[in-house]
Amino acid sequence: MQEELYIAFENYLNNEMTLEQKNAFENQLKNDEDFKKQFELYKETNSFLEVKFSKETSDFKENLKSISENHFANSTKKKSKVISLQSKWFAIAAMLVVFIGVWYLNQGANPSYSDYNFHNEAHFVERSEGNPDLKAAQDYFNAKDYQKASESFAKIDNLTNPEVQLFYAISLIETDKYSKAKILLENVSQGDSVYKEEAIWYLALSSLKQRKYDESKKYLKQITEDSEKYSSAQKLLNDLE
Amino acid sequence: MTSKNLHHDQIYIEGLCNNNSSIIETIYKKFAPKVTHYIKMNSGSADEAQDVIQEVLITIYNQAKTKGLALTCPFDAYFFLLCKRKWLNELKKSSNKEVTIKDENVSIDKDVEKLAIETEVQDEKQSLFDEMFQKLGEKCQEVLKLSFITKTMEEVAKKMNVTYAYVRKKKSICTGQLTELIQQSGRYQSLK
Repeated sequence: MQEELYIAFENYLNNEMTLEQKNAFENQLKNDEDFKKQFELYKETNSFLEVKFSKETSDFKENLKSISENHFANSTKKKSKVISLQSKWFAIAAMLVVFIGVWYLNQGANPSYSDYNFHNEAHFVERSEGNPDLKAAQDYFNAKDYQKASESFAKIDNLTNPEVQLFYAISLIETDKYSKAKILLENVSQGDSVYKEEAIWYLALSSLKQRKYDESKKYLKQITEDSEKYSSAQKLLNDLE
Repeated sequence: MTSKNLHHDQIYIEGLCNNNSSIIETIYKKFAPKVTHYIKMNSGSADEAQDVIQEVLITIYNQAKTKGLALTCPFDAYFFLLCKRKWLNELKKSSNKEVTIKDENVSIDKDVEKLAIETEVQDEKQSLFDEMFQKLGEKCQEVLKLSFITKTMEEVAKKMNVTYAYVRKKKSICTGQLTELIQQSGRYQSLK
């Protein structure tokens, strides 16, 4: 009978057997493999049930849950600490930006090219007669399209007119082609045209745009009192000191 | 099991068994962050890590309580491996999740692996027991529950308004029935 067997298992586990019963039981455990297996499983099942339903286990699970929740809540708090740490760095970064900005503006007290690049209008061609490239260059220049102006200037075959050379050079400075501009301007500044001083002025501006302040000053000092650029040159020199 | 040298980290196992809050807290402090990091690196969230850790600690508790658990390796390695394998299993189950495993190719100590697998087998058994328990008749479930929740069988008898002898007998028979259900299940054979 299975029922008798289970009751015997239960009695043995609870130590509720007479010595005689106990001896007989243990004897069977030794000799009857099948009996032993059934008893082992019964015992295992019993302890499984005990752990499953004991108050100890439910206490443990409850305690574990609260510790777990606490731990993970804290680690998310830590995360927000990390974020606030990050915002601290943002603050530092922002301050740095401000400092750099202020520094940059102070540098900017070093005058910039854009403060001085007010060019005269080009008027070397009255009408669309004559050289169409020169006309186009003039129109583009006056429209402040220096890229296209440069391209048109470049097409002109015989570029000997100092006035045209000067405006071509200005277009080149505006489009950051300094070395070619320098050749043209030096050419004009060494001639005897009325554009001589203006060429020096633009050499100075070209240097200024490249932040070559000493070079710029060198050019500015060459501009004589007679030049219409003299006062501008003095002011710029002053700002550069 | 050959009684190899017990690792001094056995204190954590005992701490779990005894529901020792300060030891459980220490486990969380010392060992949970690594697991959380691993799970987050492998398509999981902090919430999922929290669940995995909690379940693994219950598994360890269950084994230690029902069968005994002698730690022969560092708790850290054993615990991490269990969590990791549990998480990978869960990823496999919800296969709609793209499984990309970022693993530092750390070779796993054989002792650690053996112990972890033993624990997993025990956990499988546990879930089989749970499942079979649900298949018992209502009366059996009630008697068994009460006889373990309640301190003495006399109290159980009082609660159920039956005699002590009846409760004792009923308890034995119901436990026996449960062993039969377990034996009949195919899963039990593979878990032995």
